[in-house]
Amino acid sequence: MLIEQCVYANRWRAVTPAAKGLLALGALVAAFIVASRPAVGLLLAVLVATVPVVGAGVRAGHYARIAWPPLSFLLIGGLSMLVAVDLQQGSINLHLQSQHEVFVVVARSCGALAALLLLVTTTPLTDLIALLRRMKTPELLLDIMVLCYRVLFVFSESVHDMQTAQAARLGYADARRSLHSLGSLAANLLAQVWQRSRGLHQAALARNNDGPLRFLAPTFAQAGRHTAFAAIAALALVAASLWLRSGV
Amino acid sequence: MRDMLLEMARVSFAYPDGSAGLRDCSLAIRRGSRNALIGANGSGKTTLFLHTNGLLRPSQGELRYAGQAVNYSRHGLRDLRSKVGLVFQNPDRQLFSASVREDVSFGPLNQGLSEQEAAHRVDAALNAVGMEGLAHKPVQNLSFGQKKRVCIAGVLAMAPELLVLDEPMAGLDPAMQTELLAVLERLHASGMTILLATHDIEFAYRWADDIHLMKDGACVTSFPSAELANHADILAAARLSLPPVIALQQVLTASGALPELPPIRSSEDLLAHLEQPVAKRSSAHGR
Ligand SMILES: Nc1ncnc2c1ncn2[C@@H]1O[C@H](COP(=O)(O)OP(=O)(O)OP(=O)(O)O)[C@@H](O)[C@H]1O
Ligand SMILES: [Mg+2]
Repeated sequence: MLIEQCVYANRWRAVTPAAKGLLALGALVAAFIVASRPAVGLLLAVLVATVPVVGAGVRAGHYARIAWPPLSFLLIGGLSMLVAVDLQQGSINLHLQSQHEVFVVVARSCGALAALLLLVTTTPLTDLIALLRRMKTPELLLDIMVLCYRVLFVFSESVHDMQTAQAARLGYADARRSLHSLGSLAANLLAQVWQRSRGLHQAALARNNDGPLRFLAPTFAQAGRHTAFAAIAALALVAASLWLRSGV
Repeated sequence: MRDMLLEMARVSFAYPDGSAGLRDCSLAIRRGSRNALIGANGSGKTTLFLHTNGLLRPSQGELRYAGQAVNYSRHGLRDLRSKVGLVFQNPDRQLFSASVREDVSFGPLNQGLSEQEAAHRVDAALNAVGMEGLAHKPVQNLSFGQKKRVCIAGVLAMAPELLVLDEPMAGLDPAMQTELLAVLERLHASGMTILLATHDIEFAYRWADDIHLMKDGACVTSFPSAELANHADILAAARLSLPPVIALQQVLTASGALPELPPIRSSEDLLAHLEQPVAKRSSAHGR
C-alpha cells in the first residue's frame, strides 16, 4: 500500500484532481508526440517523473519503488523485441533495422508511465472516482470501483488476521501444513465474501439506498486557479513537444 | 396515554435455515425515551433491530410506527428507514466508501436531499460525534472506535427520530465509551429516541429509562430501569445478575449508613451520597 501512503501524504493532496488529471493528460499527449525522437522522449519521461517528487513532495524512494515493477516489465519487453531467437538455427539475432522503432515504443511507454504515475502518486482513488463521476462515467462502473476499493481493505485485513491466527497455531510450520492452511484460508475467504456482500447490501438498504451509490463530492479550495495553471502547463508541454518533433 | 413511537406486537421471525430469530416478541418504545435491550449472545437482539428498520419482515405479528402499521411497500420502507436509523454492530459492515465524508453523505443523498443540504447535514453529524477533524482521512486508516463514530454520524446525518444502535459500546475503551455516552446524552436532550443493545447491565441501569430483556428470541419483559431490583429472578433466569450497586445500597440502608432513598443507579452516585453526610459530620466536629 505504498501508493496509499504517497497519496495521502503529498503536498498536492488538497489540489483538485481535475488539475492533476489535466497535467497528466498533457504529459501523456506530449509523450506520444515527442517519442518519435526517443532520446527526447526519454528526457521528457524523466522530467515528468521529477514533477511529483519535486513538486508534490512524494518521497523519491517511494516513487522509485512504485515505478520499478512496471518499468522493469517495460524494459524487459523492449529487450525481447530487440532480440530474436531462432530455435531452428540455434542463433540469436539482433534486429538492428527495427532498433529505432523499439526505442520509440519504449520512450513512448516510459513517458506514458510517468504521466500516469504523476496522477496516481498524488491523487487518492476516492478523488479520482469523484472526478470520473463529474465526467459522467457510467454509474455502474463507479459503484464497482467504490465497492472494490473499500472491500480491498476489508479483505486484506481479514486475510492478514486469518493468516496471523493460523501462524499462531503453527499453521505454516512446514510445507504440507502451509498448503493446507492456505487452502482453508481461501475457502474461508470465499464464505466471507459471500456474507459481506449480503451485509453491504443490507447496510445500503438501511440507509435508504435503492439505486446507484451516491456520495457528496469533495470540494477543493482554489480549484479554478489550480485547474487553469494545470491547463496552461499541459498546453505548454504539448506545444513544446510539437516543436521538438518538428525540429528533427 | 403514553406516546409510543415504535411497537412490536407478537412478532415472530424464522431465518431461511429454520432457526428461530424472534418468537412472539412484543415491545414498545416511548417517544423521547432511552432504551436498553439486554440479552445473551444469540438471544435475537440483532434480529430485532433488523426488524425496526424494515430490513427483515415479521413472518407473524405486526410492527407499528407512531401508531401506524408499517407499510412494506417501497414507499413505506423509504419512510420508515428515514425515521429509524440503524447503526450496525460491526462498522466494517456499514462503511461503504473509503472516505469519511463521502460515507456520511450516503444516507442524506439517498433521502433525496440537495448536495448543499447534505453537505450541511454531514458537517453537523461529524461535529456531533467529534470527528470533524478526521473528515478527510481514509476509512481504512481509522481506529475501530473512530470507525464506529463514523457509522453513527452516517446515520445521524439522516436525522432519524429513533436511533437504534447495535452494541455501540463493544470494543471501545473506557474513555471512548464515556465520550460516546456524552454524544448519546446530547442526542437524547435534543429529543431523539434511542434504543441500544448492550451486555453491560450496570450501564443499562445507569443510563436507560426503560430496560427490555430478551432470551432465546423472546422479549421476556420490559420495565422502567429504576425497578430493576424487583426483577432479579427474571434476570437470573437469563443468566444475568443485578448490578452490585443495588445490593450495596440495600446493605448500607439496612446498617443505617444511608437514609431511605429512591434507587441509586451508579456507584458514583452512591459514593456521592455516602460522602455527603460524612462531610457534614466532620464539619460539625470542626466547630
Ligand atoms: N443469517 C442468519 N441465518 C440463520 N440464522 C441466523 C442468522 N442470523 C442470526 N441467526 C440466528 O438467530 C439467532 C439470533 O441471532 P442474533 O444475531 O439476532 O443474536 P444477538 O442477540 O444479536 O447476538 P449477539 O449478542 O451475539 O450479537 C441466533 O440463534 C443465530 O444463530
Ligand atoms: Mg448481535
